[in-house]
Amino acid sequence: MNVTQDLSILHLILEASAVVQAVMALLVVVSIMSWYYIFMKWFAVRQAREKTEGFERDFWSGGDLNVLFQGAAADRHHSGSMERIFASGFREFTKLRGQKNLDSKDVVDGSRRAMRATYQREMDALEAHLAFLASVGSVSPYVGLFGTVWGIMHAFRGLANVGQATLASVAPGIAEALVATAIGLFAAIPAVLAYNRFSHEIDRLATRYESFMEEFSNILQRQMR
Amino acid sequence: MIPERPVEPGRKKALTFTLLVHLALAGVLFLGVQWKRSEPDAMQVELWSPVPVKPTRVEPPPPPPPQVKPEPKPEPPPPPIEVPKKPEIVVKEEKKPEPKKVEPPKPDPKPAPKVDPFKEMLERENRERQVATEQNRLAALAEKEQQAAAARRGLESYAAKIRGKVRGNIVLPPSIAGNPEAVFDVTQLPTGEVLAVRLKRSSGNAALDAAIERALLKSSPLPKPDDPSLFQRVLEIRYRPFEE
Repeated sequence: MNVTQDLSILHLILEASAVVQAVMALLVVVSIMSWYYIFMKWFAVRQAREKTEGFERDFWSGGDLNVLFQGAAADRHHSGSMERIFASGFREFTKLRGQKNLDSKDVVDGSRRAMRATYQREMDALEAHLAFLASVGSVSPYVGLFGTVWGIMHAFRGLANVGQATLASVAPGIAEALVATAIGLFAAIPAVLAYNRFSHEIDRLATRYESFMEEFSNILQRQMR
Repeated sequence: MIPERPVEPGRKKALTFTLLVHLALAGVLFLGVQWKRSEPDAMQVELWSPVPVKPTRVEPPPPPPPQVKPEPKPEPPPPPIEVPKKPEIVVKEEKKPEPKKVEPPKPDPKPAPKVDPFKEMLERENRERQVATEQNRLAALAEKEQQAAAARRGLESYAAKIRGKVRGNIVLPPSIAGNPEAVFDVTQLPTGEVLAVRLKRSSGNAALDAAIERALLKSSPLPKPDDPSLFQRVLEIRYRPFEE
């Protein structure tokens, strides 16, 4: 081990042992993925919130339900989650209302089931990849730590060959190893923050959807009479 | 019936942002963390060479070798006094010289001062030893004095070193009346690092006190004495802003 080398990051990464390098590469990939999902979720959640707000405004402004439904069905690719919940519920409602032998309770129950199914699907889509962020946040520090421990073991093994044990002969190895921890933390911290934030926002959206479903069921029940 | 999912928004945008974030991170790492092993900056070296103290101890003269001194030979008998010449004043009546009366001192075989050669040797030895011990005593005294002087000199040079370093670091406030002396107690580590500076006696000028205190702190680590035994944990530093 050359002790007079410069300790630039590039040196540290390139001179690390193979295991540490593998750990670092893994962590970099994980970090890229987690940042990708962070941005994806960020846009998705923001869009879902904006569309929900827009639809709630339209819905409670007292427009005709049929018009709203036409709009939602026609522009399916750009509708928000709440709009889709509304559309599935209303579609089921119109179908069931045409049948003679069903009383109002069954009709409302049927449309509510349809809404719930759509709601589950929407929540599933919104929550996709959140688990990935959670695992990155909790596991990548350990992975980085593993790389560090391995690197430090390596450094000390190198120390055994040196007659005089100085700090200078282990310092490069330890610095190398610590880069792994650093990368792990770089990956983990944003992932944990993003996970907490997104799960909170998705919870709030879910509450909004559920309360909308209840209120919409009430409206449908009133329409039955 | 599964309604088709709308395209997830911003896939490309997310990818771009991700790459940007990582590039920024990498940039910060590569540019910001240059753990270069820089050569230590040029050191300020103060060369102080105290005058070497030569021990001028006088070696006690080796005890006189117990060689047997040549026996002082018995002095040769003084030559028999010649028969006095004719007295200058001749008294007529006593015409007769008295050669008989003036007895020539008999040549005695022993020298008149009856000195025992052994005793003499002993005495001389004794005397020499006395002189030697006296000399030794004087030398020891002188040495002690010299040591004290050396210590004093070492202390002086140590103080001068510290003063010189502080002088290099001080920024004097503009108006100082006279050359007032401030006394500080400086606590230092064995490496010379200054732990604490406490004003013991003010110079009467608060700005000057503060300046000296700053300079003392800035002078950490203080120069070390040449003689490690002179190191004191708490130094009393008297400082005057101007050279005498």
